[in-house]
Amino acid sequence: MTESAKGISVSCAKETVYVRVVGRGTFQNGQPLRRYGVERIEHGCGEFFVDLAKCDGMDSTFLGVLAGIGLLLQQDRREGKLHVVNISARNMELLRTLGLDRLFGIDEPPGKLRNGQPPADAEFKRLPESDVTMLTGPLSKNDTADLMLEAHDNLVRADQRNAPRFRDLTKFLRQKVDKRKADD
Amino acid sequence: MKDFRIEREERGTVQLLRLSGSLDMYSFPRLETQLNALFQQGQHRIVLDCRDLDYVGSAGLGALIGFAKQARERAGDVKLLNVPDRIYKIIELLGFTKVLEVYNTEDSAVGSFSKN
Repeated sequence: MTESAKGISVSCAKETVYVRVVGRGTFQNGQPLRRYGVERIEHGCGEFFVDLAKCDGMDSTFLGVLAGIGLLLQQDRREGKLHVVNISARNMELLRTLGLDRLFGIDEPPGKLRNGQPPADAEFKRLPESDVTMLTGPLSKNDTADLMLEAHDNLVRADQRNAPRFRDLTKFLRQKVDKRKADD
Repeated sequence: MKDFRIEREERGTVQLLRLSGSLDMYSFPRLETQLNALFQQGQHRIVLDCRDLDYVGSAGLGALIGFAKQARERAGDVKLLNVPDRIYKIIELLGFTKVLEVYNTEDSAVGSFSKN
C-alpha cells in the first residue's frame, strides 16, 4: 500500500454514502469523517457503507465517530443504518468488544444495495486531513478533546457496558472540556 | 503491524515493563492484565519503557491515567520512559503530560521513585 493511498475516501449516490478507510482510523482522522457524516445525514442520506477491507486498525475514538453516525442515523425517527463491510477478524473483535456489532449492520447490506458495493461510476474523493501519515498541521487540542469526549460518550450510549471501560478517559476529558468552557 | 510484546525487569522496587509493537484496543488488555497482576502483588512502582512502541491508541492512554491514579493511592506511580516523538506529540496533544510523568532515561525514571 502506498502512503498516498491512505486516508478516508467517500462517495455519495442518492441517499447512500460509501466510505473507504485505508490505513488506520484514529482520533487524528475521525473529525473529517464526523463532519462529512453529519452533513450527509442532514441532507437526507440514510444508509452508510463503511468498507474496512484495507483498514489496518481503528482506535476507540474512530469507532466512537462511527458509532455517532450510526446513532444519528436512528435518531428522531430516522430508520437509517451504518453497515460495515469487508471487516477483518481483528477489527470485528473490536466491534464485538464494544457492542457495536449490535448497532451496525455487519456484512449484511440490504439486497437492493448490491452487497454494499458502490455504483460502478461512483467517484470517490478523499477527505482532507484524513491520511494520518501526512497531516499538514498540528491538530487543535480543544477540537481533539471535544471529538474524543463525544466519541467515547457515543460508545457508552451505544452500549452501557463501555462506561467502566472508558471511565478514566472520559472523566479526564470532561474535566478538561468543562474547565475550558468555564474559562471562556 | 508488529505484535505487541511486554518484557518485565525488576530494578530494585521498581517494575520496568518494556513494551514493543502496537498498543491498541486489541492489545491493551494484555498490559491491563499485567498491571493488575503487579498491583495484586503489591507492586505499585511501574515504569513503562515505550522505546519500541510504534502506536498507542487513545483509550489505552486514557486507561493508563486510571492505573497511575490507583498506583499513587498506594505510594506508587505509573511513569513513561523513552516515549517516541510521534507518540509524545499525541500524549501532549491530549493533555496527558499533566498527569503522566515522562522520562528520557531509565535511571531518571527509576530514580524518581526514591524522591517520593
